[in-house]
Formats: sequence, structure tokens, C-alpha cells
Amino acid sequence: MKISLNKIRQRFTRRTWITLIIVMGALLLELISAAQYNYAKRILEDELEKKASIEITMKAILVKSMLNATEQVLNSHVAEITKLTEDTEDIDDAIFSILQANRYFIGMGMAFEPGYFGGRDALYEPWGFNSPDGVKFKENVASREGHDYTKLKFFTEPMRTGQPNWTDPYIDTVQNHSLVTTYSIPIIDRKGHRAGIAGIDLSLEWLSDSLNSRHMYPSSYCLLLTDNGELISQPSKSHPRHKDFDDAISLIKDSTARARVVPQSKFKVIEFVTDDGQDACVFFHHMKGRPHWLVAVVCYDKEVFGELSTMRLRTGLLMLLGFLLLGFIIYRFFKNNKRMEQNQREHDRIETELKIAKRIQTEMLPHDDINHNNVGVGAALLTARDVGGDIYDYFLRDDKLFFCIGDASGKGVASALIMSVTHSMFRSFGSRESHPARIMQKINQAVCHGNESSMFVTFFVGVLDLPTGRLHYCNAGHDTPLLIDGTVKALDVMSNIALGVDADWYYESQLVVLNPGSTLLLYTDGLTEAMDAKHRQYGLQRVKGTVARHITAPPQQLLDVLRADCEQFVDGAEQSDDLTMLAVSYTPAQEVTELERELKVTNDVKHVPEVNDFITDFCQDVKMDESLTTQMQLAVEEAVVNIMNYAYPEGEQGDIFIKASATAEHVKFVLTDHGAAFAPTDAPDVDTSLSAEDRQIGGLGIFLVRQLMDTINYERVDNRNVLTLTKKRN
Amino acid sequence: MKTTIQEIDGKLVAVLDGQLDTAAAVEVEQQLQPLYENEDKDIVMDCEKLEYIASSGLRILLSILKRAKAHGHTVTLKGLNDDIKNVFKMTGFINLFQFED
Repeated sequence: MKISLNKIRQRFTRRTWITLIIVMGALLLELISAAQYNYAKRILEDELEKKASIEITMKAILVKSMLNATEQVLNSHVAEITKLTEDTEDIDDAIFSILQANRYFIGMGMAFEPGYFGGRDALYEPWGFNSPDGVKFKENVASREGHDYTKLKFFTEPMRTGQPNWTDPYIDTVQNHSLVTTYSIPIIDRKGHRAGIAGIDLSLEWLSDSLNSRHMYPSSYCLLLTDNGELISQPSKSHPRHKDFDDAISLIKDSTARARVVPQSKFKVIEFVTDDGQDACVFFHHMKGRPHWLVAVVCYDKEVFGELSTMRLRTGLLMLLGFLLLGFIIYRFFKNNKRMEQNQREHDRIETELKIAKRIQTEMLPHDDINHNNVGVGAALLTARDVGGDIYDYFLRDDKLFFCIGDASGKGVASALIMSVTHSMFRSFGSRESHPARIMQKINQAVCHGNESSMFVTFFVGVLDLPTGRLHYCNAGHDTPLLIDGTVKALDVMSNIALGVDADWYYESQLVVLNPGSTLLLYTDGLTEAMDAKHRQYGLQRVKGTVARHITAPPQQLLDVLRADCEQFVDGAEQSDDLTMLAVSYTPAQEVTELERELKVTNDVKHVPEVNDFITDFCQDVKMDESLTTQMQLAVEEAVVNIMNYAYPEGEQGDIFIKASATAEHVKFVLTDHGAAFAPTDAPDVDTSLSAEDRQIGGLGIFLVRQLMDTINYERVDNRNVLTLTKKRN
Repeated sequence: MKTTIQEIDGKLVAVLDGQLDTAAAVEVEQQLQPLYENEDKDIVMDCEKLEYIASSGLRILLSILKRAKAHGHTVTLKGLNDDIKNVFKMTGFINLFQFED
């Protein structure tokens, strides 16, 4: 059971559930609506039945009252009529006066027992009628051909029963061919014999007009039928539903039709469908007493329940709209929710990737001390929770330490990316270029190019010449480094502007010669702006104070102390920015020179053998083996020839000084000239993998020097080019 | 620095003797002119007595090789000492020439 429930849960997603709930809700409301509709319909039906009952009763009363009025007229003249059996002379006067008094009677007449006034079977029927010109009288209409009253019910019934009689409607053929009925009473003479009848003709057209003068509903109408179901009265043929008349009549006459008795009354009702598909019902009831006529009222559902249907349709539509709206809102809610979840996931993913990227970036930074006697380096990068944009870097090339520190504006992806670009360009340009301002210039141009998001990077580049302690540096808007040299003071720096701001900015290098034992401390504002819980900043003064207390500490130790002090100050408050520090100590080794010789030549290649002999002799004197000696000879020759070819203008004579020296560990050749500034170390490497056809004839010299020597270092000192070549003796 | 050029077995054989430094290179380039002008023979450089070579010497060899190759001929270096061979290795020239002991 549990398993199957779980299965169902799995198959029904949340969305399916919501859809299901909405559908169920809609069905429930629809049911309530339907129930309400039926209830309202019942009320309306009851109302209709009551109304119809009243209508029928009213119509019956109307008919009855008209008939009664007729009956009354005749009954009130019984004595007078009885007298007429003896004095026929007055018949015309009597008829005349009655018709004159009741203009709505069509006519009035008397019919006597055949031969009552003598004469064998002689028929006598005096008759008068109302015409537009007044009352007309006919002495004996029985003489008319085909009019044998002894066979007609208006005569035979009263004669037979001795009771008054209403005939079934018939067409009055005598006068105006309208539908009429005749009320007749027996005439009893003074001897007690039935002498004949007296009758009044009543127009049923007139009755029809009265019956259908007013109705409950616009299309409903009233029918009057005889006991046999013959039509007495109906609305005029102009009635909109006249086509249904016959249907209604035949239903009433049909004893098999399912008639329902209206509760608390004796009325009956039959529901039916018309030819054109309309639901209708006919209410009917027999009048009490004579004539036993039937009054019927026909109503149409459309008119009775029309409002209700419209109302129900409107309610249904409104409800449907409401549900659609509700569904839409819920759908949007879930969609938004889903989107938010997706966004969160995406955000988490990016953040994770950024953290990885940042870790990679951090791991790409150097962590080890520099393997060189003359320098010590310490570094620290403490990353904040957000991905930031701090870096530091350092590397050795040709007896020079290249180092940098930087801080990209803002946090997040953009700053991390731009810092990554800056870093890789520092590495790339630093491998060919020894001049910090030129390195800075090139990075700036690259960072400015396409920097649509207006990011910028504060950056400091330093190039420390290790043999001499000469530090060339260039600052691009970065925090001023501290120079620790017995005291703690700020390095003299031009601020310039940050990278990425102005592609045409001309960056200038500055120079300071570091004393042995001095240290340069670089940092990002993550150090000075580190905040404790009360938002107080660590500040430059505290940095200086801490450094001053550890003035002789080696670089890494100095940074560890600073970091610990800063952490103590911050006291657990969350780090908001990357904190980066770099310390560079200049610690030149004091070496004892075993042998030192100098040679001066002019810039003419004819002196090359002289140089070669000088080098060979020197190497042999410091007991270098033959192979190494040849290598030294080659290296120095290539370097010297390079100077001979390029240092001085063509045709101008210039000196080249060659100083060879040896310590216990190294041999060193320092070549000096007064020519134009030229750094052979910045020349690109030769591609040795090319084919003979593609190899260039030139460019091999410096390449060979680099291959043969351990270090090659160029430095421009006091308008002189100083090229230092060193090689380990073993 | 001494150079001689002979034709042996249909090949041009140049003997290099001494130190081929930058100073010597100018003279040597002139002496080896027949090798530059050669259009129909393979070339052998006899380096058994070559004691030293600088990049200017390497340039001469590369020029000769380029011309020979253009005419479909080879340049073979013969009897290089280890130090010089080392220079050839460093510069990648070891891949350009043919060598004989």
C-alpha cells in the first residue's frame, strides 16, 4: 500500500495536483451552481403553476360571467315569454326590446313545437338580430330551406330535458358566418306544456377577444374548448405561436397524454415540445357547471425560465473566468517559483565555478620563495567570501625579479576576469620586456581595449635588478608600498592612474636603489581597510606600527605577523575584501672575488680574436675545463659582437669594456658600453624548430648567449648599457 | 682560419681549419664563394680541423645550405667535434644539415 502510494506521489507532480484541485473545485462550484439553478427553477415553476391557476380561474370566471349574463337576461324574461305563447303578436316587440338592451347578442329567437299554433306540423321560429343598422326581425326563419330546427340541439335538448342548454359552437350561417353558441331555455305554457324554446345567440369571436386581451407572458395564450374538445375560442391567427394551437388542443383531447395534476388544485398540466423545439406546457381545467367547457393556458419555458437561464449562463461564465484566472495565477506562481529555483541553482553553479576559478587563479600565483641569493620574497592572499579581484605575482628572469600586486575594482565575475587578464598579460609582457612602464603601458592598452563595463585595476609593477639592487617600478593608482630600510617609510611613487581608464596614458617608471637588507612591502586596500565589527578600519598607521616592531623580520615572517595582527584587530568580523600582501627583501650575497680582469676594445670585429683570447685565458686561469671555456668564449663573443654591431651609430668608434671576475661559485662577465640604450635580453627567442628555408640568417647571437650562460642580465646604469653574463663554475 | 675547396668524386669538398669567429667570418665568406655559386654538385664541409664556430660562421653555413637546397643538393658536415656539435644542437642546426663522422 505504501509502495503504491509512493508510486502515485511520484507520478503526480505538484503541477498535476494543482490542476486536479482546480478541476475538482470547478466541478464542485458547478454542482452548487446547478443545484441553485434547479432550486430557483422549482421556485419559478411553483410560481408559474400558481400564476397559471389564477389565470385559468380568471378566464373561467370571465367566460362564466358572460354566459351568466346571457342566462340572466333570458331567465328574467321567462314570464314575459310564457305570455307570448298566447299572444304571438307581441313576439317581435319582446325580441326587439331584448336585443335593443343587449347589443352584444347576435340574435334572439323562439322556436315552437311543430303545429303548436295549429296547422299540421307547421314550424314557427320568429328571430331577430342586431345589425349595424339596428335590430332586424324575421317573422319565421323556419321557412328557410335546410333549416329544420327540430333536428338542432338548441331546440331538441331543452325540449327533451326541460333544462336550459348551451349549444356547442357553430357557424352562424344565417347572418355573418361567425362562430356562435346559443343558449336556449324551454318555454312552458300556462297549461304546463313545453311549447318550444327561447334562445339567445352569443358571438364567440367576442369571447376570444376578451380571453386573449392580456397574458402572463408575451407568447402565452388562452384556449377555450367544449367538453368534446372542439375549439370555441383561440387567439387570432396573427398570434406568434399560432402554429402550436393545434398541438396544444390535440394534447388536451388526448386522454393518453401524460397530464400532471398541479398540487393543491384540480388543474392539469402537460409539458410538451413544439415543432420548432421549444419547451412548452399547457395548463387546463374544466369549468364548473354548464356548459362543461375547458379553459387552457399555454406557456413557453423560454419565457418563464429565460431570465434564469441567462443568469445561469452568466454565472457559469463568470465562474469559468474566475477559475481560469485562478489557474493562471497558480500556474504563474509555480512557474516563477521554478524559475527562481532555476536562477538559484544557476547562481549557485556560477558561484561554485567562480570559486573554482578563483582557486585556480590563486593556485597559479607563486607560493615559493625565489631561488636566488640576492632576494627573498613573501606573499599572502586571503580571499574574501565573494569572488574578488586581487593578485600578486613574481618571477625571475635574467637576474631580475619581476613582481606585481593588483586590485581590480568591484567584486564578482567581472573583476576576477579582468584581473585574470591583467595577470596573464603581466606574465606575457614581462617575459620580453624589462621596463615596468612599458609593461604597464601594454597592459593598460589591452585592458582599455573593449572595456565597456568601465572596470579598472590598480596595479604596481616592480623590476628589481638583483646584481645591483636597482629597482625600477611603475605605479598605476595602487596603494603606495612601504619601504623598510631601518625605518618604515612610504615609497616615493607617482600615482599615475589605474589601468583601464585611459588607453593613451603615458606611464613613467621610477627608480630606487635598494640598500642591502631593505624590504619593500606591497599590499592591497584589503589590509588597511580591514574592518572590525564596529566598522573601524585597521588603517595604515597600525600597518606601519606593526612593521616597525618587526623591522628585521624576513619577508614571509613579516607578512605572518601582519596577518596575525590584522586578524586580532578584526576579531572575527567577516572579511569583505581580498587581502593581499607581497614583501620583497634585497639581500645580496657577499662573495669574495678570486680573480678579476678587464679588457677594453673598440667596436670593430677585428678585435674579436683578442676578446676570445682574453676569455679563454681567464677561464683557463680559473681552471675551467676546455669545453666550458669554449662555451664562455662563444657566449662573450656573441655578446660583444652584438654590442659592436648595434651600440654605436655606423662608422662611429666606441669603447666596449669587458670585466671578467670569478668567485668560488661563479664566473661573471660584465660588458659595458656608452652606446644607445639597448636591451638584448628583450629580443624574442629564435625558433629552432624551423626548416632551413624558413630559418632567418640573424638573431642567433643573443639566443646562443642565453643558452650558454646561466643568467644574462641587462641594466641601463648612468647612460651606460651594462650586460652581465654569469655561469656557475661547476 | 684556413679554407680549401676541392672536387672529389663529383662533390665539392671544403676544408675548414681553425677558429671560425666573427672576425674570420668575413674572410671565410669570400673564400667559400665557389660554394655559393655552385649549382650542380652536392657539398661536403670537412670540419675535422674546425676548432670553434660563432653565430657568424653558422650564418655562412646556413646561406650555403639554402642555396644548395634551392638547386636540389645536399650539404654534409663531416667530423664535427663535440663542442661544435653541441652548438648545432642548441641552435637547432642539427636538424638542417647532414652529418658524417
